[in-house]
Amino acid sequence: MIRLLLVTPYRKSLLELASAMEKYDDVELTWTESGQKALDMLSETSMDLVVTDKELGDMTGLEFAEKLLRVNPMINSAVLSSLPSHEFHEASEGLGVLAQLPLRPAKADAENLLKGLKNLKNLTAGITIGDKDPGP
Amino acid sequence: MQNGRIAVPSMEKGGLDGQRSGHFGHCDVFTLVDVEAGEIKAVTTISNQSHVQGGCMVPVNLMAEHNVNALIVGGIGMRPLMGFRQAGIDVYHDAVRPEIRPVVEDLIAGKLSAITDNQVCGGGQGGV
Repeated sequence: MIRLLLVTPYRKSLLELASAMEKYDDVELTWTESGQKALDMLSETSMDLVVTDKELGDMTGLEFAEKLLRVNPMINSAVLSSLPSHEFHEASEGLGVLAQLPLRPAKADAENLLKGLKNLKNLTAGITIGDKDPGP
Repeated sequence: MQNGRIAVPSMEKGGLDGQRSGHFGHCDVFTLVDVEAGEIKAVTTISNQSHVQGGCMVPVNLMAEHNVNALIVGGIGMRPLMGFRQAGIDVYHDAVRPEIRPVVEDLIAGKLSAITDNQVCGGGQGGV
């Protein structure tokens, strides 16, 4: 099972991504609406991936990615951002962000994200995880 | 350091007389130095795994699997540093000397400093 935490005060921005993720039997989604609530949750329970909106109300998505390292550096993160990719790379250097996502990520972004996450988990754990295909 | 295994991100074939790699995530191999009673007992190398975006934990896992106790870097990001700390692997820093042997000898002699949080690469400026 792949556990994903979606963090946004504006649920609409992640609805399409969530809808695409929900089609996978091996993906479990959890939502929360602020950076601090997410950090509190992640101090108690681990996730495979946290997807954060550009702004979380109490911090930015990249600020969250940095704070997450102090809570659990093993958790992967993906951040919605409108920055050009080279600027995003500069702003997120060292944070180990798995992916930059557009402000309204869609089905293709969800698929790429899951593919990248599974590849990474295989490299990290040496085990195969969640290869179920959601079908057409 | 009297006993343990030291890892050094290395260029090309590595080895005690080889050259260090500036950033551990992109090194060719890791040179592993086994130390017993303050003496170098064995030197081996292991290949690095492919570096993918967000793959900072891959080398952490690799070092933990090979029972590494200490890592000497020239540069490292905050996430892998935190990962190494969580894995119980001490990270030391020398951004000046490109050779492997002198930094290993200094670590064994207790002359190398542990890396501090403000010596990490990037760290993000919080912009979006």
